Amino acid sequence: MSLSCIDVPGPRPWPPRVSAFTRPFWDALAEGRLTTTRGRTSGRLTFPPKPFCPYDWGNEVEWVDLSGRGRLYSQTVIHAAPAAFAREAPIHNGIVDLDEGLRVAARILGDASLDAAMECVVLRYADGPLFAFRAA
Amino acid sequence: MTRRVAVIGGAASPVGRLQTPADAPLQALEHEILAPLVLRAMAAAGLAKEEIDALFLAMCRPYTLQKYFATFLANYLRLPLTGGIMEVLGNGMTGGLSFDTAVHAVASRQAEVALALGINMESQAASADHAMSTMRATGDVDFHSIFGFTPISWYAMDAVRYMHEHGATRAELASVAVKDRRHATLNPIAQYRKPLTLEEVLAARPIVEPLGLYEVPPRGDGAVCLVVCTEQMAKATARPYALVRGRGFFHDGAHQIDEVPNDMTAFKAAEAAATTAYRAAGISASDLDLAELYAPCTIVQVLAAEAMGLTPRGRGAAHAAAGETALGGRIPICTSGGCLSRGHPAYITGLLTIYELWEQLTRRAGARQVRNARLGAGSCELGNYNAALIHILEASA
Repeated sequence: MSLSCIDVPGPRPWPPRVSAFTRPFWDALAEGRLTTTRGRTSGRLTFPPKPFCPYDWGNEVEWVDLSGRGRLYSQTVIHAAPAAFAREAPIHNGIVDLDEGLRVAARILGDASLDAAMECVVLRYADGPLFAFRAA
Repeated sequence: MTRRVAVIGGAASPVGRLQTPADAPLQALEHEILAPLVLRAMAAAGLAKEEIDALFLAMCRPYTLQKYFATFLANYLRLPLTGGIMEVLGNGMTGGLSFDTAVHAVASRQAEVALALGINMESQAASADHAMSTMRATGDVDFHSIFGFTPISWYAMDAVRYMHEHGATRAELASVAVKDRRHATLNPIAQYRKPLTLEEVLAARPIVEPLGLYEVPPRGDGAVCLVVCTEQMAKATARPYALVRGRGFFHDGAHQIDEVPNDMTAFKAAEAAATTAYRAAGISASDLDLAELYAPCTIVQVLAAEAMGLTPRGRGAAHAAAGETALGGRIPICTSGGCLSRGHPAYITGLLTIYELWEQLTRRAGARQVRNARLGAGSCELGNYNAALIHILEASA
């Protein structure tokens, strides 16, 4: 599975910090895969990925690919944006419930109605990737 | 063994622009604003300075230069304390927590008289710059803030979902701002007192869609001091007071959104905290005469009112539009004008909530007085009402 990638000029407005643990997430995203971790003993997914399982606090987790498919739960357009986002304002953001049962907040591309089927896309900025969703 | 606690005094500055530009030749100093309020609140209480033994300060914004402001203020007031001194921080709940801490200190016999107070100065910080800080408070820095979610953007998404699921209209939501403004016209400390029409609210420029300028909180400064003491002392003053009858708290364990899809607009924390507070007070929602809710946006007031059982689920906006939550209505909500018009100096909003309840329950509210007000509820929250802290206060007479 590989997500569509869209090139975006310039750097990300407010880039995430990358740790030794989250680096696989951002590396996978750059390759077109949305991933997270699953606790080995609980079998439960969590998002964002964590080096332990928040449900049973088990220390063994595995990285898994997510489908990137889900439904639009809500959305907004932020006109009064933080200073770093002035270039991208107004910003269309939303909340997507993934088919795997995870709720994620992200950028939304284009028009979409609530409960519409959505797919994850990778925004390839000059300095690294961000994830976004658009109507599938 | 705990004992009953009363709010016996209070004083607040007008909400609005108190902070001066950095280059102004004459500066507004926080202690010169807050200390006179302490004196006024104590005069209202009818208690002597020597009786104060604890001070719980809502933490100041980072724009306040004086650090360790609580102990600085104790020195400024020459106020030695045997019970405790603390600066309290709990995100949007900060003011409410400073009150809660003062109540706890008195209830648990650590103090006889405690001050709950604060000053929030931020109006000189440009909104886009201020949002660079607040976006890191109401979101995961590495997985939310990267998209530029601001505190009120989450509430906007509540509004979109709520209208989608319950068929509430934009006009119904917007009516909350009109109603709050009408209340604020009667409140001398309110930031905005010029009447506002529904048309103006609906035509306002968008801030976080679908919410426009008048449906989101104004930026502003404010200062307030409350005096909390034992019920026994309050009785001895022979002055009217507000008795703390119940308290409830709940945190849903989520930071803005739960990773497991749920009903985001149900405000489960407000429901759970209200249930606990009502039980402690031995009342039900229908016994309340007024409610002062922490509601930075129109939609938040609707959802918090529903979660606390003040209006039926899914019908809160319609009930607001029908006037049920206005002064003179079935259950007046935010008689102060609320965050939208009284103003929202966020770190002390929770204290201003209790201040309004104290004014109402001691018959000081003038033209906005709720007739025969006996029981009032106050709420504060953090995140997207991920946590709620609710107090029930009762008039002494």
